[in-house]
Amino acid sequence: MASLLQPDRVVYLVRGEKRIRAPLSQLYFCRYCSELRSLECVSHEVDSHYCPSCLENMPSAEAKLKKNRCANCFDCPCCMHTLSTRATNIPAPLPDDPTKTAMKKAYYLACGFCRWTSRDVGMADKSVASGGWQEPENPHTQRINKLIEYYQQLAHREKQERDRKKLARRRQCMPLAFSEKYGLGTRLQRQRSGAPISNLAGLSLKEGEDQKEISIEPAPALDEVEPLPEDCYTRPISLPEVTTLRQRLLQPDFQPAGASQLHPRHKHLLMKRSLRCRKCEHNLSKPEFNPTSIKFKIQLVAVSYIPEVRIMSIPNLRFMKESQVLLTLTNPVENITHVTLAACEEEDPDEINSTAKVMVPSKELVLAGKDAAAEYDELAEPQDFQDDPDVVAFRKSNKIGFFIKVIPQKEEDGDVTVSFKIRHDFRNLAAPIKPSEEGGDTPAEAIWLTHHVELSLGPLAP
Amino acid sequence: MSDYPTFPKWRHNETYLVQTNRKSLIYTAAETYLKPVDPCCPRTVVHPKARIIAEAGPIVIGEGNLIEEQALIINSYPENITPESEVEPKTMTIGMNNVFEVGCVSQALKIGDNNVIESKADVGRNVILTSGCIIGAFCQVNTCEVIPENTVIYGSGCMRRVQTERPQPQTLQLDFLMKILPNYHHLKKTVKAGHNAS
Repeated sequence: MASLLQPDRVVYLVRGEKRIRAPLSQLYFCRYCSELRSLECVSHEVDSHYCPSCLENMPSAEAKLKKNRCANCFDCPCCMHTLSTRATNIPAPLPDDPTKTAMKKAYYLACGFCRWTSRDVGMADKSVASGGWQEPENPHTQRINKLIEYYQQLAHREKQERDRKKLARRRQCMPLAFSEKYGLGTRLQRQRSGAPISNLAGLSLKEGEDQKEISIEPAPALDEVEPLPEDCYTRPISLPEVTTLRQRLLQPDFQPAGASQLHPRHKHLLMKRSLRCRKCEHNLSKPEFNPTSIKFKIQLVAVSYIPEVRIMSIPNLRFMKESQVLLTLTNPVENITHVTLAACEEEDPDEINSTAKVMVPSKELVLAGKDAAAEYDELAEPQDFQDDPDVVAFRKSNKIGFFIKVIPQKEEDGDVTVSFKIRHDFRNLAAPIKPSEEGGDTPAEAIWLTHHVELSLGPLAP
Repeated sequence: MSDYPTFPKWRHNETYLVQTNRKSLIYTAAETYLKPVDPCCPRTVVHPKARIIAEAGPIVIGEGNLIEEQALIINSYPENITPESEVEPKTMTIGMNNVFEVGCVSQALKIGDNNVIESKADVGRNVILTSGCIIGAFCQVNTCEVIPENTVIYGSGCMRRVQTERPQPQTLQLDFLMKILPNYHHLKKTVKAGHNAS
């Protein structure tokens, strides 16, 4: 059954700052700390920006300048799909001879999903295929730019004052609260939630320019507000003409209420990010720079280091009756792995979700290494493992199927969940091998890792 | 029911050329029952494996239509009426230049001109499509209404909007298909009486 292979059926517990339960496919493994890491216990860093439709790479400074939008691609204002440029032939008078007409190509933007075209908004067809389309000007741009400049100057000035105070009163221990107000994200500041605007200080003025005093006028307060039109309550609404909230808020500059004012916007850039372990500062995931490439330079994902437990078949589960569940264990590394399973202790703080008692096999399970060439190698000798048929159902290259016994304890409507600990040996090939005293090559030391696994076995049989 | 032509067992790729009036090419696989499609759909191309089932009444198809593979145009009995009871047969009318894309199901009794029913869309019996409507892919429209002109129904929530232009008739594609399809499908002339060979 395909539903048994859903990723959230088997979750592993990550002991980081928070206890997170996530399927193994979504976890990373730091092989320097020898621990599982989830997306919440790593720091995310932006690698590069790229446009998802034209796949054009952009350095971060240029992206910031263009407000994280692509210059060539547009989004449909109606359904947010990517717009494509279409051409039609229109008769146009030749520039030399006004009486004759020739077929000229005119380009317009069209959406393939909702059939919106740029002619709907009144944008004239352009004669160039790309680069002719302009976004409408925001009427408040000047005021906003002035406000930004003023606040940049203010931030810079305050930062200088604080630094001066810091130097003057260095003997008193300054708490962290006295660091930059609109400061950059240093490691300490980043960990505090609710950090204030951090990008303004990056764009702060240079030293020599802070002589120019920028002053702004406060926003004028109006007494009278524009009255509503008289037929506001009586006019029948034509629903296709009214924009939805989503369409409106995607254009915060204008927020048009009518569909005839929805102009296309440039497409948002996406970014590639790299992940870094917070404890040891090593990179866990670093993608390639090229947006067309999906490979990684560094990819320390958990599925390639930790044996994966999957559910293979579940019999009918009945309240307080023992049933056998068939699980599989897959070995991702190339050397033989020894796995021991243990049921959770009585007062285990991790075991909050389980609703059934489980009896795991007490013997050690041996998993063969993953041999990439095994399917092509016909002369491979079948490995001889002495398997107890009560415990091991089958064995296939680096996979093994084994039974566990489950006794559901609660007769409620939810899923039966079961948890146990899995202990396996891990050979750390990343750590530098210390030269042994005998002078020979010692294999990497095996350390034993324990993980807490929870399985969701589905509801009780009616 | 005895009006259905009895087709011999077909091999997989064979299609069936039913030649009606001029310039009409209907390629059908064994599953097409053309009872009784009036012989008046010139310039219509019906792809293999399309099904046009006229169960509860005749289907009249206009010209210039494009009915793609696995499309199902069915004039069926309403659900709560058993086939035995006497029901007046209602004619299903389909206008000109419509496109029924792959896998769509259309039970609408009246379809106007220049409509496009996209892939896997489902149009119910009580819907009346006027002109220029586009029913988006996988949209199910089984309300009881007349869809105004130039409406586009799209998206998983079946959002609607009105477009300013009607979709263009697919003349280029129709010409292309009429030339190309005979090259790629086996044709078998029907022995049915009452149809004029072109």
